[in-house]
Amino acid sequence: MNSRNISCPSRLIEEFKASFLKDLRSYFRYPAWVIGEFLSTPLWFFFFALGVTLFVPAASAATSERGPSTGFSYFFFGFIFLILFSTSVWGVGQSVRNEQESGTLEQFFLAPANRATLILGRWARIFLTDSLIISYITLLLYLVGGIAVTILNPTLFLLSIGLYELSLIGFGLFMAGLTVRIKAYNSIGNAIFFGYMIFTGALFPIAVLPQPVRYFSMLIPFTYLNDLMRHAALGTSMILPESLEYIVAILAAVGMLTFGFVAFNMIEENARVKGSIATS
Amino acid sequence: MQALAAIFWKGLRHHMRYPGEFVIFLMLPFLFTFLILGMGTAIAGNNASAYFAARTGTTNIVIYEILGGAVWMTSWVVVEDVGTAIRDEQIKGTLEQNFLAPVRRFTLLVGLSLTDVVITSAIFLLVVGVSVAVVLPSSFVTIIPAFLALLLGLIPLFGIGFLFAGFVVRFKEPYIFIQIVNLVFATLTGTYYPVTLLPYWVQLLSGVLPQTYVIDDMRRIVLANQTLVNLYGSIFILLALALAYPILGYAVFRRIERKASVTGEFSKY
Repeated sequence: MNSRNISCPSRLIEEFKASFLKDLRSYFRYPAWVIGEFLSTPLWFFFFALGVTLFVPAASAATSERGPSTGFSYFFFGFIFLILFSTSVWGVGQSVRNEQESGTLEQFFLAPANRATLILGRWARIFLTDSLIISYITLLLYLVGGIAVTILNPTLFLLSIGLYELSLIGFGLFMAGLTVRIKAYNSIGNAIFFGYMIFTGALFPIAVLPQPVRYFSMLIPFTYLNDLMRHAALGTSMILPESLEYIVAILAAVGMLTFGFVAFNMIEENARVKGSIATS
Repeated sequence: MQALAAIFWKGLRHHMRYPGEFVIFLMLPFLFTFLILGMGTAIAGNNASAYFAARTGTTNIVIYEILGGAVWMTSWVVVEDVGTAIRDEQIKGTLEQNFLAPVRRFTLLVGLSLTDVVITSAIFLLVVGVSVAVVLPSSFVTIIPAFLALLLGLIPLFGIGFLFAGFVVRFKEPYIFIQIVNLVFATLTGTYYPVTLLPYWVQLLSGVLPQTYVIDDMRRIVLANQTLVNLYGSIFILLALALAYPILGYAVFRRIERKASVTGEFSKY
């Protein structure tokens, strides 16, 4: 991110590739974690899904020929949002903290590579494994429950996922910067993750929230990105008029990406001056 | 007794040094209850409590879910504390000192468990006590027999903790192991739904877990005004589990520990 690290595109691609492969290798070095991740994610899903089943009339709990109920699909996509959002908080955000704790942060920062590219390599690895986990749960759902998840508007869905990922990278970079400054990362990460679950309409529409809380939700960019993705997948009604929501979602994604880069750069420079980068 | 008291106070001091963890355990039952209630309301709308009652027999969604959530948190604390205690000492480099101290291993594990009795009781009384006092004040006294059911259920849970302590010595990687175990417990014991929703063969697995009976008994006591005497069947099962699990858990722990002493497993990371 420093001027001395600004490189040509081919160099950036090389750095990104090296960072991605490094992260992939580290990931597969701990098979227990890989197995754990692939077991625990569907368990969380079934745990919540069974809890929600209590609110569905007994007659409609079984899968009909028309596919799953909208309620179930709503919840399923909410769960996907949670998996993806955790990328920002626990993946990209925690990458710097992990290097700090394992004592390799100095090497990481001294490498003749763009810092953001190194962090993006981690994001790419997590995006790959998240996609595998989501596909695996979708398949499991089909095989076990006979529920086929369908997407109403695949083009819009891909576009909205793209915007969501851009904002996740931005937010992740901000969180990564935060770990340089604030060492009690776990508590902050948990608070942000729980806040996301409640206030952004990830698991239930914000209309369920009391009026004053709803205003707060509408100030969070992720609320619109979640809403757009769900609209693309299920055709649910939008919070804002359609064209306005597209504009807000694009602005939110670009704004968060820019904010993330700027914030990370500023925090890193500040920590470099104060000598607090490697203090854990 | 002196050694037991020392281990107990050491564990308690450790918990008091990290109050954030305790606050998280207090918040999680409310958070999960709120999430499930929010999702349920979004799906069922105004009929949410009617559909809920048709499946559970009560319209009091908050208390039903909070009771399950509170028991889940207590089992989380026990599995995490007792299960990872040995591994934590190993990582900190203090395991040898602990094992060289003139204290029996059983005393060490029981001391840790006693600390958890205090912590889990505090979680239960704060989470369930406050919820019942606010939502269902007329049933406030029922939290006493509900608490007794929890205390009885803690004994087999400590046995399960001993079992995990042994597995962790053998297989390392305690945190991912504990995460999965906690999720399996939450799913199988009917934390947020009756276990009858699960497939029959899964219900058989639920039947060997003490939390299944504790959660069900608590709901019957607080929401259906039943007494511990009425629930003698499940109390009897809990007593049997309270005998079986500690014996089994300690036997497995000792076996793995003896093997680890020979192979030098303790000093490995």
